[in-house]
Amino acid sequence: MTTTEASRDVVFTEIADMLRTVLAELGVDDAEITEQSSFNEDLELESIDLVTLTALISERWGEPVNLAEFLADKDLDEVIALKVGDLVDFVSGALARAGG
Amino acid sequence: MSRILFVVPPLVGHINPTVGVAARLTAEGHEVGWVGPTSPFASLIGSGAAFYPSDRPLPDFAIAGRPPELRGFASLKFLWEEFLIPLADGMAPLVEAAVEEFRPDAMLVDQQALAGALLAERRGIPFATSATTSAELMQPLAEMPKVAAWLDELLNGLRERHGSPEATHDLRFSPHGVLAFSTEELVGPTKGHIVYVGPSITQRPDDTPFPELDGRPVVLVSLGTANAEAGEKFLRTAVEALAELPDYQGIVVDPTGEVTDVRRVPQLALLPKCAVVVCHAGHNTVCETLSHGVPLVVAPIRDDQPIVAQQVVDAGAGVRVRFAGSRQSS
Repeated sequence: MTTTEASRDVVFTEIADMLRTVLAELGVDDAEITEQSSFNEDLELESIDLVTLTALISERWGEPVNLAEFLADKDLDEVIALKVGDLVDFVSGALARAGG
Repeated sequence: MSRILFVVPPLVGHINPTVGVAARLTAEGHEVGWVGPTSPFASLIGSGAAFYPSDRPLPDFAIAGRPPELRGFASLKFLWEEFLIPLADGMAPLVEAAVEEFRPDAMLVDQQALAGALLAERRGIPFATSATTSAELMQPLAEMPKVAAWLDELLNGLRERHGSPEATHDLRFSPHGVLAFSTEELVGPTKGHIVYVGPSITQRPDDTPFPELDGRPVVLVSLGTANAEAGEKFLRTAVEALAELPDYQGIVVDPTGEVTDVRRVPQLALLPKCAVVVCHAGHNTVCETLSHGVPLVVAPIRDDQPIVAQQVVDAGAGVRVRFAGSRQSS
């Protein structure tokens, strides 16, 4: 396993944990989260839940990972189709660029 | 004494709050006319209401029903592309005929009855927006410029077809003012000319029988009028949960009659008797409930509901639970 793959796995695990935190607040504690899970259809998260997730992500990784900017660049169909894996790609890419 | 035309969509939650406004205007000597309600909704406004144009039967808009499983942004897309825009195109000739006949001095236009805003700007008639939910006031798409651009394009198309080429304001917000049936304390800071009037809880026509109360604290469970198809599982879970709470009298409203036989309740009259209200965070139910000081459990389904639910939680007036996950016992 290369370093990149390893850190990608770590990022997925951390994001999945954050999603479980968001979902737990909504009374869901057995959600199956994979890279293929879509925010809209599978996890049924609302835009307001994405805001919560954005806050958790910036709390964890700080400035190098700007999820608000990532979301601002999406059009409607892209937002509807957004998957957990897309977010993992974005975060691990941003961390790699930041040298972390 | 003025003539004021009310333009509303065929949606119960958008018509009900305006009935109190019309009653007040009428009491002060003004003349109110209506355009938009389809025949099933005419009774909400009460006998004696004047519908325009008067020379034809009430309209019947052929508009696609929304698949109950749609959520989030997929639901937003459907709401605008398949419902609100076609509704505006369908209502535009009707509103034009109503304006021709009634010659209003001013108009009250629901935020989702865009045909009214379009005709008002084209004819130069002053109008106020009726915001029967506060969600749009919070500019929910502000952080997503590409999504906002999609909506702007749809609204600009409407303006090209029915409005005035000189107008520049957002069709959902009258430059003369927006009547919001909420309070600033609940909504938080907003931009624009918003007039907060609180929930419209004056008497309105309602012949629904009052349910029998046995003295135990009442738990009212209601998903409003627009979510019957999506709500069966939620309502069944509520019935099961209430069966385990013998100290409370549960009233579970089910418009379909599939889960309980309480298809409707006289909500305004019943609210003062409630200990807690469990609902979908529909704007009217939330504000009406809070005006009686009754706490809420909110399970938002879609549209403005997640935003309204967050307002309730932030105000400390209730807790949010998940609508889709309600079957789980956690």
